[in-house]
Amino acid sequence: GVFTHLEVLEVRAREAAVKQEETEQQEEKLARLKARVQELRLQRDELQAKVDLQQKGQLGKEGVVSNPAQPTARAVIEWKIKSIEAMLQVFYLTGISGKLTKQGVCFCISTAYEGTYLDSYYLDLLTKPEVQIYRHSVPIFIPLQQIAKKYLQTDIRRFLSVLSDHLNAYVGRRYQADQLQEHFSGQIEGTLQRNSLCNLLVFNYNTSSESKTFPFKVRLLYGDLCCSLPTEVTVSCTPDAPASLAETAAAHSDLFRRVALHKAFRSLRGPEESMD
Amino acid sequence: MDETVAEYIRRTVLKIPRDEIKTMLQKWGFLSETQLQTVNFHQIKENISQDVVQLCEENSADIKQAAVLDIIYNHIYPNKRVWSVYQMNKTGEETEFFDLTEFKKKFKRRLRSALKNVTINFREYEDNAIWIRIAWGTPYTKPNQYKTSYVVYHSQTPYVFISASVLKSNLPLLCQALVVASNYRDIREMELRSHSLNSLKDIVFKRYSQNFQTYNPRPLQERNVAPESADLRIIQENRNEKERIQRVNQKVFGDGPQPKIEFAQYKLETMFKSDPKMDVLDKKEPFRCLVKFSSPHLLESLKSLAPAGMADAPLSPLLTCIPQKARNYFKIREKKGFFPGSFVSP
Repeated sequence: GVFTHLEVLEVRAREAAVKQEETEQQEEKLARLKARVQELRLQRDELQAKVDLQQKGQLGKEGVVSNPAQPTARAVIEWKIKSIEAMLQVFYLTGISGKLTKQGVCFCISTAYEGTYLDSYYLDLLTKPEVQIYRHSVPIFIPLQQIAKKYLQTDIRRFLSVLSDHLNAYVGRRYQADQLQEHFSGQIEGTLQRNSLCNLLVFNYNTSSESKTFPFKVRLLYGDLCCSLPTEVTVSCTPDAPASLAETAAAHSDLFRRVALHKAFRSLRGPEESMD
Repeated sequence: MDETVAEYIRRTVLKIPRDEIKTMLQKWGFLSETQLQTVNFHQIKENISQDVVQLCEENSADIKQAAVLDIIYNHIYPNKRVWSVYQMNKTGEETEFFDLTEFKKKFKRRLRSALKNVTINFREYEDNAIWIRIAWGTPYTKPNQYKTSYVVYHSQTPYVFISASVLKSNLPLLCQALVVASNYRDIREMELRSHSLNSLKDIVFKRYSQNFQTYNPRPLQERNVAPESADLRIIQENRNEKERIQRVNQKVFGDGPQPKIEFAQYKLETMFKSDPKMDVLDKKEPFRCLVKFSSPHLLESLKSLAPAGMADAPLSPLLTCIPQKARNYFKIREKKGFFPGSFVSP
């Protein structure tokens, strides 16, 4: 009846008001804390300045011979070690680093995907009589021999660059598939079919963990081994699904082609949750 | 339920250690939790297996489902079988996509077109390993579930791990089916055999720890930090030699655990080099001889030979090349040429 309807509206209005109050309180609290942070920073700077002044003053008082411009030998060595370690860390972070060995050179290709550092792979190369691979730790399903045949003798920089692309793309695809299985297993129906190179994924999924009525089937083909996004996406619905889902399937297909898999799923789930 | 199936399930359950039976049946998933609750897993295995067969009878198990239990058992205890490694070759350079359903279809079709009486089961695992169980029959008899071959294949790799059964005659057929299903051209057996399937995988997939020289900032490993101040009366006289051996060993074997193999076999076809005055052999023929090293863990024991003082470091490259050459069966022939010596045949 009308009264029940009014009651429902009343309840909703009350809930909305409560929520609004809560958000306002949060904002106030945040503003207060920010102001506090500023205060403390100011204090810290003042104290730091005082300390510096005191230290300088003390030295002046004692008249110590150790001139701050001439640090001790030990300090020099420590500084040198630190800067070398930092330099090596920088080289490592570029993704390709190497070290000369007795018979040639040993390269290390470090991979990462969107800010997460992943595995490192090594290549021990001989340089005489010609450049050849002595041993390596590259996974067997990466076409190392093919890439070596093309570039190793002629252009070693290109060889490393192409190999690094393959490896980074592989770990990127693997990372996406792993993230999908770890964080979105509720939305996947059945098993996620994958392969060693993670360049073909086939699985059924729902857009939310609750409504499991019309699962979609998706086939992701990563045609370019140097790319961590698929080249071919096929999303299909079950034959008895309503026609409107066909549009959703097309939208999903477009999404998977542009966005990383786990991020795509996050965005698929996102709007559902705020619809409550 | 078929009597042969019942008997097969009974015997499979009997193979499982008693403490593992419940977990394995749960992994199998054929019997429900409520059914499993009714079994007393503390009684003797004979009785447990009878109870399990009874429950399978209620669910009308067929041979396919019984075969899955067998795969699960062999996946958890692969070291009970001897595994050989096979390598496949292909000509083309096309990118591999490896569709699992296509693989299974092609494999079954190829195998069944040659021999109808086979039971084929597949099971995939998290590490992209595909386990195939084949029970062989003949053109006139049903498949013998006790004469099975197991194949483990990781997609998009050229290596296949096969634990063949007694019936070696079916091996060519199996190899052919694998080549066709995985889009390769041919297949050959490598000289690499062991009980430890994971170690074989480590060797061919290069997952074992090879010692690569790098500048990567790694925490320095504390090795042999024996308390120096233990007893000042004890002095290490040959400390330098000990450290040299450690260094050489580490360079050759790396830091991590070694892959586990049980044998290394060297077939010698070299000339016997004796004092001409002794004249042991009238005819100059190669002296045929077979040297076999065996150990529960051959590579670890080789690694500990030099530090234990039983051999000189560095060890012979014939022994240390095993993981890198991915073989533990060697043929050594006389090298014909300017320098005497021996060379290892491919």
